[in-house]
Amino acid sequence: MSPAVRRTLVVASLIFVAAIFGGRGEAKISLEKCTICHGKSEFRKVLVDGKVRNLYVTQTSLMGSVHEKKGCVDCHFDVMEIPHRQRPKKVTCTHCHYKGNPEGAPQSDVYLEYFKSIHGQKIAQGNDKAPLCQDCHGSHDIKHTKVPGSRVSKEHVAETCGACHMKIYANFASSIHGVKAAEGNRDAPSCPDCHGEHNIYQHLDPKSTVYATHVPVQCSKCHASVALMSKYGIDAEPVETYEESFHGVASKFGAKTVANCASCHGTHDIRPPEDPLSMVNPQNVPKTCGQCHPGANANFAAGKMHIDASKRDAGIVYYVAAFFKYLTIMTMLALIVHIFLDLYGRTRRFKEGK
Amino acid sequence: MRVFEFDEDREKERYVEIMPVFFRVQHLILMITVGVLFLSGFTVLFHRTRASELLVAMEGGVEVRGLLHRSAAVVLLFLVLYHLYYILFSREGREEFQKLKLQKKDIADFIGVLRFSLRLSDVYPDLDRYSYKEKFQYWGVNTGLLIMILSGFILWFETASMLLFPKWVLDIVLIIHGYEGMIVFIILLFWHLYNVHCSPGNFPMNRVWITGKVDRELYSRDRRGYTGKK
Repeated sequence: MSPAVRRTLVVASLIFVAAIFGGRGEAKISLEKCTICHGKSEFRKVLVDGKVRNLYVTQTSLMGSVHEKKGCVDCHFDVMEIPHRQRPKKVTCTHCHYKGNPEGAPQSDVYLEYFKSIHGQKIAQGNDKAPLCQDCHGSHDIKHTKVPGSRVSKEHVAETCGACHMKIYANFASSIHGVKAAEGNRDAPSCPDCHGEHNIYQHLDPKSTVYATHVPVQCSKCHASVALMSKYGIDAEPVETYEESFHGVASKFGAKTVANCASCHGTHDIRPPEDPLSMVNPQNVPKTCGQCHPGANANFAAGKMHIDASKRDAGIVYYVAAFFKYLTIMTMLALIVHIFLDLYGRTRRFKEGK
Repeated sequence: MRVFEFDEDREKERYVEIMPVFFRVQHLILMITVGVLFLSGFTVLFHRTRASELLVAMEGGVEVRGLLHRSAAVVLLFLVLYHLYYILFSREGREEFQKLKLQKKDIADFIGVLRFSLRLSDVYPDLDRYSYKEKFQYWGVNTGLLIMILSGFILWFETASMLLFPKWVLDIVLIIHGYEGMIVFIILLFWHLYNVHCSPGNFPMNRVWITGKVDRELYSRDRRGYTGKK
């Protein structure tokens, strides 16, 4: 077969395929047709396990969402005829949302991160309780993260995660972070700020952003920023003093059993130290330290916690450190001076034969 | 053909043994344990440096580092205990220890050497078997060791220590342990290494820690009285 003939055949078959799919596009089902049935408010299905699946969808269901210009079959593309005989399959968002798509949908690779995440892994293992895109982002009511009312916005994302992680949500909602985030404070962290968005892993997985040795990194994203912390009258120093402490050094070098921020301050239930419920309230310090140091008593709370020996407010620790600092310097200087004197003396003895 | 012959008499004449094998072994153990303690300790003290990251990796992680540090400390502790036994309960050790006691002559010798080096005097003092140099090192390092052992145990059993002392005491102990380790290191580096190995006549190394012997002539130059008796 000559190349010219082959090329003709390829082009011909492409035209043929395009004709078939193009034909499908023309037969696109309009919104009005779907709402003949789905537009009835009582349109629902009782499942075998007694749960009720609400199937009520109106023409305004997509209004205000990022997909308001889309039609039903843009996502439910497996619906070919009305009424459909089979239950349409779960919508696969990656039908449009992949890099290089011709549809003009936002192009991003984040969904690849999702597949590797614990949620994606569980789905792949066949766990139908694990979340798909629409479980977090919503189905008909998808809005941009920054739009108020979005299920993944700062204010609401904790509720969204809490739909499954209920106990943690209860803890988080009453914490200082949870309270502030629910108020719509953009500086306060909500779930994804620490756990990641699509790349969520179990906290025991070294890839996790909240893996034991990564916790200080996560907290210091905000708490090491003087600009951000001064807005709320919070000291930004504890990050550095932690890094200088024995806990911090061991954590940095990969020790997993050593205390990180969360070990003492709590994970989801972080509260300001003045709060009597706070794990770092002086009243609760012995109990908190006792998690790792069995039998911890009031001695554990006696003294400043985050201590910087080079600052005067460290009290006696500062003075001891200063004394030793100068002692070390003086010893070194004295010994160096001695070396030079001795060298001179020896040279003299050599020359004078003494 | 000339064959090299080991002349024992000549050898005895030329060299004087000041470190019997028994001391050399102790010196070797001390050298190794202190070296391990310094390396594993300084990785924590200078944890922000790249070198310290490399050392932790070499040591096999931070947990192994701690294990190494404490193992070396235990070996060193046994050496110290043995030394205590030696100077307290053996006749030889008791006699040797008498020579290490500080005397007025040590201060006079120190000042004498300083005066000579500063050209204030023309006489170099006649030193003893253990001169002020050896004594300063012996007592300096021993004080350091005592502090390191005590503070080390407090830090090793941190939970038990915290039950006895408030947190700020442990903060201080940690500071002391770090700085004192540094000071011992400085003494070994600038005093011991210089005086014994790097000073003119000994550089690059005094082989006494391997052979136990020093050059009689060189040794007697500082200690006229000591070797004269032999």
